[in-house]
Amino acid sequence: MAAHVSYTLKRKPHLWTREARLAYLLMLPAVLLLVLLMVYPIVYVFMMSLYRTDRIGRLQEFAGMAAYLEVFTTRVFWETTVRTAVWTVLAVLVKAVFGMVIALALNVEYVGRRVARMLFIIPWASSVPISAMLWKWVYDHEFGLLNHTLKATGLWNNPPVWLGAPISAFIATIWVDIWVGIPFMALIFLAGMQAISRDLYESGDIDGANARQKFLHITIPGIRHLILIATMLSSLWTFNDFNTVFILTKGGPGTSTEILITAVYKHGFEWLRFSRAAVMAVVTFIILTVVSLFYAHVFFRQERDV
Amino acid sequence: MSNWRTRNRPLVIVLTVVLLGLMLFPFFVMMSTMLKASQEIYVVPATWIPRNITFHNFTRVWREYHLLDYFRSSLIVALGTMGLNILVSVPAAYAVARLRFFGRKSVMYLLLAIQMFSPVIVVISLFRIFARAQLIDTYTGLILANTVFTISFATWMMTGYFSAIPTEIEEAARIDGCSRVGTLLRVMLPVAAPGLVTVMIYNFITAWNEFLFALTFINARSKMPLTLGIYQFVGRWSTQWELLTTSAFLALIPVLVLFYLIEKQLVAGLASGAVKG
Repeated sequence: MAAHVSYTLKRKPHLWTREARLAYLLMLPAVLLLVLLMVYPIVYVFMMSLYRTDRIGRLQEFAGMAAYLEVFTTRVFWETTVRTAVWTVLAVLVKAVFGMVIALALNVEYVGRRVARMLFIIPWASSVPISAMLWKWVYDHEFGLLNHTLKATGLWNNPPVWLGAPISAFIATIWVDIWVGIPFMALIFLAGMQAISRDLYESGDIDGANARQKFLHITIPGIRHLILIATMLSSLWTFNDFNTVFILTKGGPGTSTEILITAVYKHGFEWLRFSRAAVMAVVTFIILTVVSLFYAHVFFRQERDV
Repeated sequence: MSNWRTRNRPLVIVLTVVLLGLMLFPFFVMMSTMLKASQEIYVVPATWIPRNITFHNFTRVWREYHLLDYFRSSLIVALGTMGLNILVSVPAAYAVARLRFFGRKSVMYLLLAIQMFSPVIVVISLFRIFARAQLIDTYTGLILANTVFTISFATWMMTGYFSAIPTEIEEAARIDGCSRVGTLLRVMLPVAAPGLVTVMIYNFITAWNEFLFALTFINARSKMPLTLGIYQFVGRWSTQWELLTTSAFLALIPVLVLFYLIEKQLVAGLASGAVKG
């Protein structure tokens, strides 16, 4: 992928030249679709949050900040928000660690490395909703093969009812999100490691550096940019991971695995409280916008630096 | 580094095997379950290797459980999304990559930022809009929703591919009397064909795997795509896991094959700007 910002276009752009008009025309269909089915729905969500709504989400009378007050004064909302933050940070950290270990392992030459690389990708290549359904069966406390294997091998003689109790459900659910995200991290890190010049390692050898020193002073600085980009992308995906939570636990038991994005959906389509759902959607929207713009900012700054 | 690598190679291989076991665990479970008859699944202790390997589940999901309908729906939605997406993304990407206009920088910024928006934010209001437009329980509704959420990534990728083409090629065609749109169709697209295929496959996969919109907008069984159709095996009290795993296996094959075709370009695209240094 070459420079996204093409530097051949140096002259100052004009608002209404022939070329500009053609550009607007070419972008029109995409913009139209985005305005109709993304911008307008977002505006509508803001409206819903300010109105009372009926059971199918139609706007009734104007209610001002009433729904906001209702949401912000419930404990569950704040617990869910904190849990979402913990969920995101923890999952991304573990993904990065596993991703780094796998990338380092794949960076060693041995027969079958290509096959190993192909196999490691499967969780990413697979469909997330389907994977989540498979994991639900893996975690089954009665007939599931995870607990059977843990018991049969003596690793854990009394394994938990994974999705049945708050703490184990949170661990089991976040693990599935982590599991989906590991291959992406591993591949990005591997791509970065393979782009580092061998000369650097050779001069490291001459200077008598050990493996740990070379990792810390050559490998890590060499892929620093990639670690940042991958972490930010992964954070946004993790924050948005509706499928895993909804399919595995629907946020339960209780609200022990609820994150903002599943709370929005359940308030809307299960409890038919569309105003409250809209309030939480607005909060989510604001969080995502801030992080996305920050990500775009970092991305473009890096593109200039590199 | 080389000594370290040679010395620790056996250790690395053992580690790789253990990690692979962890990463592929649910797929081993899937394969074990789909080859068993139900009498052998709901027993304690569970077994990894089926005592009697049977392919009965495959004929059952096919004959008794509408799997063909789900496949057809997924195919229609995925192809429709792919087609509509390319139709709107390619011209937009060409404009961003090659034309001078006011606000080009902002468009680039927005393209990157929009990719991160969660469909859940809009799904509650999109539901109202679709209900009014009578798009509930239609393929059109699903195709539109899926397209909108893939436009930014597709445009972003195509912009990258178009920008990488030397301007001289395009200018030569222009001097020979080709119009802007003519150069896009006859010069730029053929040169960017590998990139175009990547983006098309990516759109197909995204639509094939989509679950949230289907869950919200589709109630009719005949219109359900695979993800939602397979979810129907999950019951409130019990789930038919042998049928679920069998269908999952069949649904995953096409996406796995397609993903391997584009995996390299996808990684490069996601990391672009940072890997090229």
